[in-house]
Amino acid sequence: MTADATRVKRPARLRQAGIYAGLVAGAVFAVFPLLWGLSTSFKPEATVLATPVRWIPEHFTFDNYHAVLFDSQIPRNLLNSVIVSIITVAVTLLIAVPAAYSAARYRFRGKGGLLFFILMTSMVPGIAVLVPLYYLAVKLSVYDTFFVMIVIYAAWQVPTIIWILRGFFESIPADIEEAGRVDGTTTFGAFVRLILPLAKPGIGAAAIITFVYVWNDYLIASTFVSDSDLRLISVGLYTYLTQYGTVWGQLTAAVMVTLLPMIIAFVLFERRLVAGLSAGASKG
Amino acid sequence: MTVTAPPPVRAAPPEAPPRPRKGRRRYGPVGLYVPALVLVALVSVIPIAWAVRLSLYRTRGLRTVEFVGWDNFATVLGPDGWGDIARTFAYVVISLVVAVPLGLGLAVLLNKPVRYIRAFRVVILLPWVVSQTVAALLWKWLLNGQYGPLHSLFGGREPLADPIGSMAALILVNVWISYPLATILCLAALQTVPQETVEASRVDGCSPTQSFYRIVVPTIRSTLLILVIMLTLLYFNMVTLVYTLTGGGPFSGTQVLSLDAFLQSFQFFKIGVGAAYSVVLFALNIVFGIAYIRVLRGSSDS
Repeated sequence: MTADATRVKRPARLRQAGIYAGLVAGAVFAVFPLLWGLSTSFKPEATVLATPVRWIPEHFTFDNYHAVLFDSQIPRNLLNSVIVSIITVAVTLLIAVPAAYSAARYRFRGKGGLLFFILMTSMVPGIAVLVPLYYLAVKLSVYDTFFVMIVIYAAWQVPTIIWILRGFFESIPADIEEAGRVDGTTTFGAFVRLILPLAKPGIGAAAIITFVYVWNDYLIASTFVSDSDLRLISVGLYTYLTQYGTVWGQLTAAVMVTLLPMIIAFVLFERRLVAGLSAGASKG
Repeated sequence: MTVTAPPPVRAAPPEAPPRPRKGRRRYGPVGLYVPALVLVALVSVIPIAWAVRLSLYRTRGLRTVEFVGWDNFATVLGPDGWGDIARTFAYVVISLVVAVPLGLGLAVLLNKPVRYIRAFRVVILLPWVVSQTVAALLWKWLLNGQYGPLHSLFGGREPLADPIGSMAALILVNVWISYPLATILCLAALQTVPQETVEASRVDGCSPTQSFYRIVVPTIRSTLLILVIMLTLLYFNMVTLVYTLTGGGPFSGTQVLSLDAFLQSFQFFKIGVGAAYSVVLFALNIVFGIAYIRVLRGSSDS
């Protein structure tokens, strides 16, 4: 008891230092590869392979960024990724929100089975259905279109998003719609005017999760499009690597350009994201 | 509108839907699922059924040539396939053993009321937005044995040039892109642990370590279980990272089942064998998926 009591009163300052040490170590591990890439992207090609290694470039240059932004397909790939990501987010939400709302508010026979079925489809490994989907896409002559990518992305995100949003809708008290209906609004009206605004954090989190997923996917983007004008950014990056050999300066500049929008979005929405992911994962 | 006061909440018997409009009583709620059902049926269910069929045939291009029964599975699960299966499990298990404690540990630290905590949170969770392709490129450059900043660490050897080194690198990068998910989920769960209980245990004489293992860990047990299952699924199905970081090499040192499925189908055009690998993966996913749903059910009942 006395020994434990002294341990409880372990010097607070030491504990504080330990916490900071852990946090700094974690932060270093997280950004180490990113910083090395950033450093390389500002180096002239001649000094990229110089040893000893320099973290701060001796000669600072924007040439790599110039090459990426003006003499490559990367801006085009970025634009494609933005278009496909945004449409996918819209389609996914349009399909997942009604189902999630129904799951949270209504009971009917077979509901458990239906939800189970939808959730189980997210257990289908992407790689397993790639060949059949490829064949299907060619048959239906939608190969080499944004359309086919959007449909597949949406289908793979919908189960997860239904799960996350269902948790959110359940956390909104049903009395709110009751009150709306008492005031004479329709079910749909009450949903749009009363529930949607309250579910904003959840919908925001769902949107970010879907956006990041599409932005980062390589498998679908590389399988369903061969036209270089339709390439998404992940494939564009990889093509860049193989096309020009390993020109590390330009490659890391391209990587930084593709990361920047994601990092900005992440910094802006980080709180919302943590809330959204936790609601989806902890509610059954 | 002359309406009496709204009935008290939960006045209706629990089976009745909360008063949907008449006429839509039966089909409305189900109808809201239809678009989702059509989409997943078209993109997930029909194709996986097709893949199962393909796995039982010898194929030429995309055409099935002849029914061969379990022959393709004999390639996957037979003596030649054991190496890949063993590597897959080693890769998944070691990644889990590193990523889960790391994610939980960082979540515990990020849950402390210290200064700059929000900045730390953003920085530590940052790898979450990095794609597998980009992670592979950045780490390849970082681990470059000749010109990378860590080259003196490797004694001039290229870590990605030998089978053990590249498996270690693969696990390291895998942990790097997946620990933020662990941290996010653990952080959210830790915030639900009532402070009073923890403090009470401290008053009763628990050391911080004891109260962590006896109070905190049991409280977030279901989140930890879900996390382990989610990561297991993620690792088993990981194709892009393996393909872009090591391509399965050197000397098959990082050849895992998911990559086999991809390479057989898209590089060697042995669609039937590729499908067999996919079906094995699918079966693994189902096992862990059902475990996932069990945990969810269990935690919502309590």
